[in-house]
Amino acid sequence: MTDAGSSDISATVSLCPHCLTRIPAERRLEGDDVFLVKSCPEHGEFRTPVWRGKPALSEWSRPKKPVHSGTHHPEKAVGCPFDCGICPEHRQQSCTVLIEVTGRCNLACPFCFAAAGAQAGADPSLSTIEKWYRTALKKSGPRNIVQLSGGEATLRDDLPAIIALGRGLGFPHIQLNSNGVRLGADPAYAGELKRAGLFSVFLQFDGTEESIYRAIRGRDLLGEKLAAIENCAAAGLGVVLVPTLTPGVNTENIGAILKLALELAPGVRGVHFQPASYFGRHPGAPEASDRFTLPELMRAIELQTHGLMRVEHFSPPGCEHPYCSFHGNFLRLPSGGVKPLTRQSAECTIETIGTGRAVSYVAQQWSAPAPATCCCDTNSLDAFLENHRTNTFAVSAMAFQDAWNLDLERVQECCIHVVAPDGNMIPFCLYNLTSAEGIPLYRRKSC
Amino acid sequence: MSLQEDVTEWSCGACGGTLEIVKVGFTYMKGNFEVDLPACNGCGLVLVSEELATGKMADAERILEDK
Repeated sequence: MTDAGSSDISATVSLCPHCLTRIPAERRLEGDDVFLVKSCPEHGEFRTPVWRGKPALSEWSRPKKPVHSGTHHPEKAVGCPFDCGICPEHRQQSCTVLIEVTGRCNLACPFCFAAAGAQAGADPSLSTIEKWYRTALKKSGPRNIVQLSGGEATLRDDLPAIIALGRGLGFPHIQLNSNGVRLGADPAYAGELKRAGLFSVFLQFDGTEESIYRAIRGRDLLGEKLAAIENCAAAGLGVVLVPTLTPGVNTENIGAILKLALELAPGVRGVHFQPASYFGRHPGAPEASDRFTLPELMRAIELQTHGLMRVEHFSPPGCEHPYCSFHGNFLRLPSGGVKPLTRQSAECTIETIGTGRAVSYVAQQWSAPAPATCCCDTNSLDAFLENHRTNTFAVSAMAFQDAWNLDLERVQECCIHVVAPDGNMIPFCLYNLTSAEGIPLYRRKSC
Repeated sequence: MSLQEDVTEWSCGACGGTLEIVKVGFTYMKGNFEVDLPACNGCGLVLVSEELATGKMADAERILEDK
């Protein structure tokens, strides 16, 4: 970041939402809000809110050492973000690697970052997926969380074989990103995935009311989600609820989601909020009122949990860029309340994790609790630690970037990478980014 | 190397006695725990491995200290 002459303005680089040309951009502080402002010679000026209110963006940082592990693209040298793979300009290694095992989906959501659905190409073969696993191993090692995604990954009947393949290649933490439809409909399915080596499910869960699902997903789904949670918990799979937050649809349901999630713990390990981004399939170019920024979310959590979880309980990340996320851990108390845990976690630079401790910590938090110990063992150190882990509840959020609010400084610190079909590792937001006209920067139609 | 498995190969540095696995009580702040650890059958000196000290015991310390 370079100072453009005023403490209220900082310079970065972005893209034109229409032609995806790289253009200079500024973060402008106006009152308590921060806007990303950029101008394309051909398409004019764009102004997008990226941070509204307290805690102030200027106070939201966390020092960490950059990690440069990328290499130059062998065929191109046009610079970020056009020759990603990742390149030496990138300052962070992977902590989560996404592998898309299908482009098909059994829902037709108005919002879908992958624009998945009926027009998907053929599923990649097991040997192609093995090649992608090996790419991830070679480029970022086995100490990542591998998230199997799509489309809807459970549409593949060979998903257990895909999970087992990854475990066999040395990945200890394989997570499923799912809408839960199949997990809810087939009580035996979660056990099958667990036996194949899955540890956790990132479950799309947008709210506690059917009207929310009708608006965001196109039909009623709550009953299926609750059945999926029950089946996963019974099978020993940890569940993380993942709401896509859309202003005016479910941003008033945040407290209810957290309340329900706490009631469903320890099977539900936490909630990971994702404010809606506008890439892939979405209803149209976003207005300022379509944005829900991280500080607004933190304040909404405080307000809607009536102070049970407060803004000061949340920290910036030690892994991705601080403007991209927050997290906080809470201990569920026997009285029904929660106690904030102030311990910092989720570091993922090589210098700070040594042997991959941070990924292990997150993986441990998202995996299912151990079965209750025998009453004769309650004084053991293992039982004490397991009880603490069982009752620890994680609340986090991630603000993805789209063509309007893209900030390359943030992208260059991204640690969530997609293995593209050509074997390059692309930061999640770049991989999914589409122009205002729907033209993708990286993603192709088929997997 | 797991100390629990290989305890018979060790002898006490203080008195030369042999080690055996015993239940050892730890108290820290308001926490009381029992851990099976190698201890000298002569003088009772307990062997705490680096792995345990910097792993689970450190985790329990952090929790009890509310860090």
